[in-house]
Amino acid sequence: MPPADLNAYLFIAGVLFVCGVVCMATKRNAVGVLMGVELVLNGANLNFVAFARFTPLGLDGQVISLFVIVLAAAEAAIALAIALNFYNNHLTIDIDRADELKQ
Amino acid sequence: MNFAELIERLTENTQNSLPLFSPELCLVVTIVALLFVRLLGIDRHLPGSIVAIIGTVAGLALAALQWRDFHADDTVTSVPLFTGLLVYDPFTVFFRVFLLLFLLFVEYLTMISGIPDQEDAPDFYVLLLGSTLGMSLMVSANHLLMVFLAVEMTSVPSYAMVGFLKGRRLSSEASLKYVVYGAGAAGVMLYGISLLAGLLGTAHLPAMGAALVEFGRQHSSFGDPAVRTLAFGILMVLVGVAFKLSAFPFHFWCPDAFEGAPAEVGGFLSVASKGAAFALLVRFCLALVGKTAGDSPLSHLYLNVGVGLGVMAAVTTTFGNLAAYTQKNIKRLMAYSTIAHAGYMLMAVAAMMVILNAPAGDGTLVTARTASAVSCIQGLLYYLVVYFFMNLSVFAIVALVRNQTYSEEIADYAGLVKQSPLLAVCLLVSMFSLVGMPPMGGFVGKFMVFYGVLEAAQLHPVMWVVFVVGLLNTAFSLFYYLRVLRNVFISPLPEGARPVDVPLASDGGRYILFLTLPVLVLGIFVDPISGVARDVATWLFRG
Repeated sequence: MPPADLNAYLFIAGVLFVCGVVCMATKRNAVGVLMGVELVLNGANLNFVAFARFTPLGLDGQVISLFVIVLAAAEAAIALAIALNFYNNHLTIDIDRADELKQ
Repeated sequence: MNFAELIERLTENTQNSLPLFSPELCLVVTIVALLFVRLLGIDRHLPGSIVAIIGTVAGLALAALQWRDFHADDTVTSVPLFTGLLVYDPFTVFFRVFLLLFLLFVEYLTMISGIPDQEDAPDFYVLLLGSTLGMSLMVSANHLLMVFLAVEMTSVPSYAMVGFLKGRRLSSEASLKYVVYGAGAAGVMLYGISLLAGLLGTAHLPAMGAALVEFGRQHSSFGDPAVRTLAFGILMVLVGVAFKLSAFPFHFWCPDAFEGAPAEVGGFLSVASKGAAFALLVRFCLALVGKTAGDSPLSHLYLNVGVGLGVMAAVTTTFGNLAAYTQKNIKRLMAYSTIAHAGYMLMAVAAMMVILNAPAGDGTLVTARTASAVSCIQGLLYYLVVYFFMNLSVFAIVALVRNQTYSEEIADYAGLVKQSPLLAVCLLVSMFSLVGMPPMGGFVGKFMVFYGVLEAAQLHPVMWVVFVVGLLNTAFSLFYYLRVLRNVFISPLPEGARPVDVPLASDGGRYILFLTLPVLVLGIFVDPISGVARDVATWLFRG
């Protein structure tokens, strides 16, 4: 079997990105939405690593993806804390129930 | 190059960069100090707000010294910091001073208004300073990695700040909405960055400009898939920036977050976060164009970006102004006003892109083009400086009134002039400035921005539409500000209204007066600040 080329990686990354966006748009559970965000970030990460291997981007791509992994963890921590805070006040993490702020 | 040489170069680079990075380091030290203050229980004797203010003043002093250095020696253009991840130039220093000064004002406001309480103060200031640190990196970002990191570093503490009042239903809902939209926009932005970095083979902004010229020679027509991918990448990065700006289709978080958050946080987000996002947008746009007017093979693509930004600006302004009409909560009204103002300022960036990239066939000289682009950025900077004072003044008045009446409904502002003439007059000045009436500063800012748009309109017909929509919006916006002012000045004081007592001799009164006076001064004495803005803008294009 021949080694995978750049397009194969980009295709998988694109699929991850679209899955993530769909997940963000359709999930009603806040944690589900955050999972969608993780998928999008990992799609981008896969892009970076693939570009690091196949284009002149080189090591930069791998370094960026490492930073993004750390950042995704930090963001998830804050987002989960906020979701927990929301749960404490509303007894649900259903995004559709967050509808008290309206004009 | 062997390992020892590499280490030596890195050490040398870091040693050269650290002094120029000192205002940010000052913020970092303050953040660590605040954490220790909390840990060791010193905050019972030394309030967190004092520690934060000392750190901010020190950072501001260092930034001001750097500013003086630039004035002493104007041959300096730009210095890359940390192997080119950040860039140090007058634009960076201008925004550092802007952000740190604003941070100082917000910290003082939180001290007067008592949000946060003694217990939570160190945590709150850690978030506030961390967010400002992110903004400071945003304005000096010179690498796509730093662009993303800085945007996230700004956003993540702001999510927590919006939800800082833990027990409140609305506050927790606001922060949940903010974090969900924010995380989504950041994800999309990162994907766009990955596409740009992969296509061009570099993530370093100046190198990207050069790579784009090369790229444009090989693929120039829009039908080429590579060019489409490039356009997609640019679009996705702009989505991330537009979210920070709360520009039209990405503004949903803004009214909810502002209504749920304390007024102090709303004021901070509306000015500082917007200023930093505009600096980032200008840097990104200039990295694409490569600082030269009209000679890039991809000019048609950039021209479309500029026109797209112009249309987005026009829609954003119109939407913000129309939606503000029906609001009953003053913070929500100010959120829509913030959206509208983001639109006005976005017009300046759009005009710059159009001027730099319109086809050069009509014989206008490149130097004339650059001069017009400089005047656009000059207008943007002036607008931001005025916006600093007028918007923070309104939010500060909202915070002070809330502390006494426990209400943020516009109806409860009825008859405010009889209770506190000072607040009422300051609100009048700031709101007339937000409308753009002479002789307030807002008029000068709007005038400069619209002048830039008018120049762009000579080069592209769509900018005429943007120009007319902008002018019409200025007239529209008068009415909803007037509705608040009518309540304050004409409506009778209702029976049993809670007293609002903010005399001139109190901290709050002096603070509001101190914030409102510059709004008038900036409208009458235009030259000092507009001269600085012009210098900064000229330096930006010279580099």
